[in-house]
Amino acid sequence: MWPVIVSGLAVGASYATTALAYNLMFSTSKVLSVTTGQIVMLGAVAGAWLMNSLGWPALLALPGAILVGAAFGALTEWVAVRRVLKRSDEHLWILSTLALATMTQQAVALVWGTEPRPFPRLLPQSFEAGIADQKFWLPIGVMIAAVAALEGFYRRTMWGKLFQATSEDPFAAEARGVDTGRVRMLSYVLAGALGGLSGFAAGELTFAYFALGLSMTLNGFIAIAVGGLGSSVGAVAGGLALGLLGAFATYLFGGAFQQTIAVGALMVVLLIRPEGLFGARGMRAV
Amino acid sequence: MRSPLGLAAALSFVLATAAEADDVVRIGWLSSLTGPLSSAAIAENQGVRYAVDEINKSGGILGHPVELLTRDTAGDPVKAVNMAQQLVFSDNVKFVIGPVNSGESLATVPALSKAGVLNIVIGSLEQLTDPAKYPLAFRTINTNTQWISTANRYAIDTLKRSKVAIIGDTSGYGASSAKTAEALLKQMGVTPVYSVLIDANKTDLSDELNKAKAAGADVVMPWTAATGLCARILNTRGDMGWNVPIVGHPAVMALPIKALLNKSEYWKNVYASGYVSTTFQDGKLPERTQALVDVIKPALGGKIDFTFWWVALGYDSMKVIAYGAEQAKSLDPDKIKTVLEHTSNYPGVYGAYSWTPEQHNGFPDSGMRMNAADTFQDGSYQPAPY
Repeated sequence: MWPVIVSGLAVGASYATTALAYNLMFSTSKVLSVTTGQIVMLGAVAGAWLMNSLGWPALLALPGAILVGAAFGALTEWVAVRRVLKRSDEHLWILSTLALATMTQQAVALVWGTEPRPFPRLLPQSFEAGIADQKFWLPIGVMIAAVAALEGFYRRTMWGKLFQATSEDPFAAEARGVDTGRVRMLSYVLAGALGGLSGFAAGELTFAYFALGLSMTLNGFIAIAVGGLGSSVGAVAGGLALGLLGAFATYLFGGAFQQTIAVGALMVVLLIRPEGLFGARGMRAV
Repeated sequence: MRSPLGLAAALSFVLATAAEADDVVRIGWLSSLTGPLSSAAIAENQGVRYAVDEINKSGGILGHPVELLTRDTAGDPVKAVNMAQQLVFSDNVKFVIGPVNSGESLATVPALSKAGVLNIVIGSLEQLTDPAKYPLAFRTINTNTQWISTANRYAIDTLKRSKVAIIGDTSGYGASSAKTAEALLKQMGVTPVYSVLIDANKTDLSDELNKAKAAGADVVMPWTAATGLCARILNTRGDMGWNVPIVGHPAVMALPIKALLNKSEYWKNVYASGYVSTTFQDGKLPERTQALVDVIKPALGGKIDFTFWWVALGYDSMKVIAYGAEQAKSLDPDKIKTVLEHTSNYPGVYGAYSWTPEQHNGFPDSGMRMNAADTFQDGSYQPAPY
């Protein structure tokens, strides 16, 4: 039973970190970027490329993967979000971020190839370590560190407070002199860095595979929908619940039911609590 | 003096005859050169293109040069069927090779057959050929049943195993193959002790392999074409220290697996259905395979890092069209159909093909051979121990 729990937690931790990246971008732009999962994929692919092809040590490849993620976050804001938000109040960002995500996946497939490629062992450890294997604990560790860092950032730094102000009311924040455009760009860069780190940490588990992004985009989205949009605790709870549910569904009923049960659970949660488990209930003046 | 009308008629006759002589034979090639299933297509494309070059250098088909119209379907059945229709109705092709994947072929085979196009099928699912429903569809690749039966016989009769664990993936192909494998084993009097379908992207397989071990499995048979899943099966077995033989789909011996293994020795005791044509015997490949390797290898930079039977299959699929047309002395698909239906042991590189009016699957059982996965060399393998 322990292998089921640990592997479910590890996969769930990757979903949770992806959900945190979603939240970061959403907080300043009210955009749920479809590129989020692709950032995670780029972190894994960039890490594998830097270590396997260029021979970089893991300690150097890690900041490299984070930088690639951060750069892609900035690109998302610049290409697919900023211009669309400026010109339209409609949800056209769904199309623009979907287009960028699709182009990114295709480009990686063409350059990197369509077969999964190996991700190197990051720490010296026997492959017979069982549930103590680093491939499970690295994503879980990164998730815990990310939540702690984000909470510290929001509560203790000026930039964190600017994020919250922009999230609460961008017009009021602008009226008080906050450059909301810069805040939004920074949030995408941070989300990109977090996604890159997440992909790097989960690389041993997922391999460096071009199609990873789509699965992360979907499952990260389910995680925040279940946990509650905007809540870090919700992202973690949603991600871990989804990972465990998928692992137990496979264990008890077989892989054919994994996605059905996971998405079915999402439907049930949304029917009972449309705002998610930890989301704030929306108020509308009438 | 001849009338202007007569001159015009004579001129148009001469021009028409000249145009006919110069007319090219357009052959459509539906190939998933990009997308998640591109490895096989890229290799097959090498064979198809080389065969076209060879045919054109020797004067074309019935004196007509071949023009290859390659369409990248990206592994998408919707794109595949749209491109097939474009090839038929816009480009006026009479011959189509492909698509590469069975899922795409399920969509294109009926459409091409209805349009009167001769279709060389290179997907392995059984239902892609049916002389009554698709009279112009001829298969060059082996069927899925041939892969599965070959592996089953090896596991049961040669390795003397009887407690089988079947692992499929949740794709249509994986689920259908696992079901077929189970049914064929039952025909041999063996009921699998464990059978499971797994999401191809599942990251940890220790539950499944522990359950297989607890069920008493003495052989694991994977039926999936997903490289990542195959590698994880091998890694999990190795990490568990469970040296049970793995016998199954050719994907378990594809070269990309090697790089994904935690340890290179995890590729030992792994056997897959392969071919006589790409199996070394006493250190040598069959003559026709070696000849093709010799001409294609330099063009690939002196190294073949993909399974060579894909190249041979692409090469043969093009050559079969040329053979049919030359024998029929016509480019009419119906006449070529008649020739192919009376073809016995046409000597290709990948295999010796025979088709009949009742049987449009051309690859013979005798062309199948089990291979040892860890012996990959220039796209071919050593035979599995018998």
